[in-house]
Amino acid sequence: MSYIEAILNGLTLGGLYGLFGLGLALAFGIMRIVNIAHGEFVVLAAYLGVTLLAVTPLPLPVVVVVVAAAAFALGWALQATMLNRLLGPNPVPAMVVTMGLSIVLRNVLVELYGADIQSIDIGPLQNMGIGFAGLSIGLLPILIFVISVILFISVNLLLTRTTIGRAFRAAADDHEILETLGFNRRRIYNAALGLAVALSAVAGLLLAMRSSFTPFSGVERLLIAFEVVIIGGLGSLRGCFLGGLFLGVVQVLGLKLYPNAGPLFGHLAFFVVLLVRQSNLGPLLAWGRK
Amino acid sequence: MTLLALEGVDVFYGDLQATFGVDLHVEEGEAVALIGANGAGKSTLLRAMIGLTPARRGTVTFDGENITRQRCDLVARRGVAIVPEGRRLFASLTVEENLLMGAARARPGPWTLDSVFDLFPAMRDFRHHNAAELSGGQQQMVAVGRALLTNPRLLLCDELSLGLAPKVVGEIYACFAGIREKGVSIILVEQDIARARSASNRLYCLLKGRVTLEGASDAVSLDNISHAYFGDRRQ
Repeated sequence: MSYIEAILNGLTLGGLYGLFGLGLALAFGIMRIVNIAHGEFVVLAAYLGVTLLAVTPLPLPVVVVVVAAAAFALGWALQATMLNRLLGPNPVPAMVVTMGLSIVLRNVLVELYGADIQSIDIGPLQNMGIGFAGLSIGLLPILIFVISVILFISVNLLLTRTTIGRAFRAAADDHEILETLGFNRRRIYNAALGLAVALSAVAGLLLAMRSSFTPFSGVERLLIAFEVVIIGGLGSLRGCFLGGLFLGVVQVLGLKLYPNAGPLFGHLAFFVVLLVRQSNLGPLLAWGRK
Repeated sequence: MTLLALEGVDVFYGDLQATFGVDLHVEEGEAVALIGANGAGKSTLLRAMIGLTPARRGTVTFDGENITRQRCDLVARRGVAIVPEGRRLFASLTVEENLLMGAARARPGPWTLDSVFDLFPAMRDFRHHNAAELSGGQQQMVAVGRALLTNPRLLLCDELSLGLAPKVVGEIYACFAGIREKGVSIILVEQDIARARSASNRLYCLLKGRVTLEGASDAVSLDNISHAYFGDRRQ
């Protein structure tokens, strides 16, 4: 695998990382909620996908849609039943609740599926590839990257072209005034967390097709999401996307240099970004929304 | 017909009582001014009227319905809108998007994007600007337009003149005639007493959370207002 291939692979992985970050950033940007259970939702989606593929005859694309819908419902229900009770200036209660939820989810998954490493078998697509100019890239990563880009564009359109999307942004700016215009703040929040969890779930399911996971993978996914958001800047779609690409490329390049490194290089790069952020990287990466 | 009535309204911020037994009413089509020094409880009363800080004691009645502890968005949908102190536009939205937020949950009525642009023709020119880039006067126009687009029966205006040049304040107040023509009742909170009197039918003066004066705006004397405004400390 040449370095160029590694970079391309990193980009395709980075699109997914960007989606992880986007889910976290939406919840924080709109509700000021730090969702510690974010990573567990990502893993839960992967398990749901595995189960649906095993016990139902549904084709893969339908499974992705079903998982996304289920994740939306889960996010909506979580916000409606728990997090809406904890609204206020103090972000800690919601963090504690979602942290507790993450522990519960993780252990339920161990109970149901065991602690073994799992992956999603997607048949012949797994080994298909495209060759051009002497490079060879898997068809699946390209497909996944295209889906990530489409999701990012769709979220951008949602936020700028639809009433609910504008309401998300308005709620982030000033939720009191939004209420005085006749919007039910809680319902907006329900939809926002539903969207955030659905995006992360799709990303989690897609990642499960190109790498393996266990019930304990959530922490790693959450860490990536945090790094993407911090690198990309909160409240910035493009920032999330670029932050995800950056982490993905660094991680795959690192793996090429030292195959045992795991995600080490991604985390190191994040550390470096934090260090130099003050000087010049911040404004470059943290493009604000228009 | 009485559109809004407050009876014995006590509003609290935590343990701090901000208003004491306020009685106040607004008739259909009327413009009422609330005047008083800083901290007299004017903005607090507006918050209680629209449900942002519900009254702990007393009742708020709108169009015959008790709305004292109704959720803010439901009060808004009944036809109460507010132009908040300091404008509070959605900073990451454009001017037009701010206006669209007002229109999104609107009651049926005469106000549309076009009629608001007719009220403030200058707004057409900066409709695609980001709300945070505007001057104070421009922001105030957008805040008024956003509230009007909900098609309110009662418009609460909190310190429209705050931080604006006198000429700009004049332009903002000039739109009141056009708003009242369409049957909207108005409550305006204002520090500028001359402005408050000329723009209203009746006025209430508040002092430390209590109503100290009520009367027709052109009938109460400046001397009375001054007494009600500052209390008895004056010689």
